[in-house]
Amino acid sequence: MQPRMRQVMDRSMKILVVEDDRTTADYILKGLRQEGHVVDHVADGRDALPLALSGAHDVLVVDRMLPGLDGLSLVRALRAARVATPTLFLTAIGGVEDRIEGLQAGADDYLVKPFAFGELSARLAALARRPKAQVEDTVLTAGDLRMDLIRRTVTRGGVEIDLLPREFALLEHLLRRKGRVQTRTMLLEAVWDISFDPQTNVVETHISRLRAKIDKPFATELLKTVRGAGYRIDG
Amino acid sequence: MARRLRALLRSTPVRTALVLVAVIALVSLTTFSLAYLSLRRDMEANIGANIDQHLSGFRIAATPETLAALVAAEAAGADPADRIFVFLTSDGASVGNARAEVENGEVQLFPRPGGKALGRLGYVSRIVPAAGGLLVVAESRKPLTDLEGAFIRLSVLNLVPTLLISVGGAVLLSLRGARRVARIEATLEGLAAGDLTARVGETGQRDDLARIGAGIDHMAAAQEAATTALRQVSADIAHDLKTPVQRIAVLLSDLNDLLPEDSAEAAIAARAAEEAERAVAVFHALLQIAQIEGGAPRLRFVPVDLTDIARTFAEIYEPAAEDSGHALSLTLPATDVPPVMGDKGLLGQVIANLIENALRHTPRGARIDLSVADTPAGVVLTVADTGPGIPPGEEDKVLRRLYRLDRSRTTPGNGLGLSLVAAIADLHGAGLRLADNAPGLTVTLTFPAAG
Repeated sequence: MQPRMRQVMDRSMKILVVEDDRTTADYILKGLRQEGHVVDHVADGRDALPLALSGAHDVLVVDRMLPGLDGLSLVRALRAARVATPTLFLTAIGGVEDRIEGLQAGADDYLVKPFAFGELSARLAALARRPKAQVEDTVLTAGDLRMDLIRRTVTRGGVEIDLLPREFALLEHLLRRKGRVQTRTMLLEAVWDISFDPQTNVVETHISRLRAKIDKPFATELLKTVRGAGYRIDG
Repeated sequence: MARRLRALLRSTPVRTALVLVAVIALVSLTTFSLAYLSLRRDMEANIGANIDQHLSGFRIAATPETLAALVAAEAAGADPADRIFVFLTSDGASVGNARAEVENGEVQLFPRPGGKALGRLGYVSRIVPAAGGLLVVAESRKPLTDLEGAFIRLSVLNLVPTLLISVGGAVLLSLRGARRVARIEATLEGLAAGDLTARVGETGQRDDLARIGAGIDHMAAAQEAATTALRQVSADIAHDLKTPVQRIAVLLSDLNDLLPEDSAEAAIAARAAEEAERAVAVFHALLQIAQIEGGAPRLRFVPVDLTDIARTFAEIYEPAAEDSGHALSLTLPATDVPPVMGDKGLLGQVIANLIENALRHTPRGARIDLSVADTPAGVVLTVADTGPGIPPGEEDKVLRRLYRLDRSRTTPGNGLGLSLVAAIADLHGAGLRLADNAPGLTVTLTFPAAG
């Protein structure tokens, strides 16, 4: 909910937004366009189907409750027609059942309303850049930070840094997505396999522990906090 | 096979049929036995009368010679296998179609040397003193034995088919009944596990099982309709409430954009946004409790290792606990703990809620101990703290939705954490207990072993 801090993405995407609520749609469109994406918008599920079937979009944002054709049926129809465009569901209902139902229908990610724009933006970027099958890196770097995945060691400027296993996993996740914002909930899902939102600032505390080890003793900050969105490793 | 047989023997139709068969067999056997005994008595009386008639014929002879002549004449026309006439003279000689000997006061009959053989089935005999000797007239028991054989054959011919037909019928009936009972049981299990689409599907029959099946189906349909309606209402409310909250969040964000950063107005907009988020959190928790109480997550249950989940959450909360001056410890048994049937995500949420509850309601320096233990009662998950605990008598109230202790009104939290824990415990069939940790609160969940 902090559009001031939006960052422009390194790659422009073509995005179809299917959302019937005008205010929410305007908010999403404005934010995505500010980030430099090309955005199409329809408010009715039936109008969305032919557009989505054309396969011209990099990613779809679909509200679950739509007039005409509901979001679940829309995504099922697309998957049945072998259109695999990554799709993010927006929903008012946030129960586990609904989440599972959405993912089973063929959605790739799921965001519960109300959401911060930063969360949507970070998740769309992650969806559009789903890791492709590629040769596994054995060394990840950011600036003078170096992570050796085989020897399980981390050094910065040649100085060895001692990390706990979960700190290592957190840093690895951020390094693999260098330059891209990871939100609290994305980190909870990816690093700890948790799909609910704890009331305590658990991610913040882990980030601060990691930061104390990889950033504090050094001159430049690699692990950045993106206000209202999440965390990012630069370099 | 032996188990199936035992199950078959326990089924009502087989038991009823076996009792009926036993009664029928008993009645038949009694009737046959009485008829046999009556006929046999008549026949024995007949044989006795026959013998008496012969004896009276011999009584006219006054001297041993005449009697011997009469006996010899009668014996000449009789087969010793059917009927025996012997006159045993005072000097021990036998006249007739067999030979008789007196031994210990009893008369024994033997075939005459060179004569015909005696019957093997024994004789009904009369011995009377006559003309200075003994007169023996005996009739073969063959007709009596024949009667016995005839009755045994008759009983077998009558009872065996009756028994076979009744037992076979009962087994067939009970197999059919057992299938239908099994279907009813499976339906009830499905319904209990949260599969509201489970139905018995009784058709055609008009018996008691069909009526029970139809009743269960009717109940399940009503339950499903109510649950669907509830889900629809929840979804509608969620949509109609969250869309405006989303709009409020968007508008506050727009407002924030217009205000100078770090201004008092911007701070108010940020706080308003936080309050909107809190409203959503309460609503979200209520919705989740309703869904859990609906029982649907039970369909996804798999064997879960509680020690794994406890380890993960102890690790997640360790830095946060340290920052707030709490000592979070984890105690796990040295040996493997049996898995429990459950939903990993929801069980994680239970541990998270209990740890957060302890972090929120205990002062700095308090200890929070998370442990998993394997006990005879089941796998036990415990979160114990050394905080102020819960006043006696309030233990049940804190599990109520939105209930908060007076002293907790000012601490963050929405009064739903423990309600959610209770709902998830209930979903897993786990016993939830809140007890005094002297000082502090001990929350234990006892999970039934996965079976």
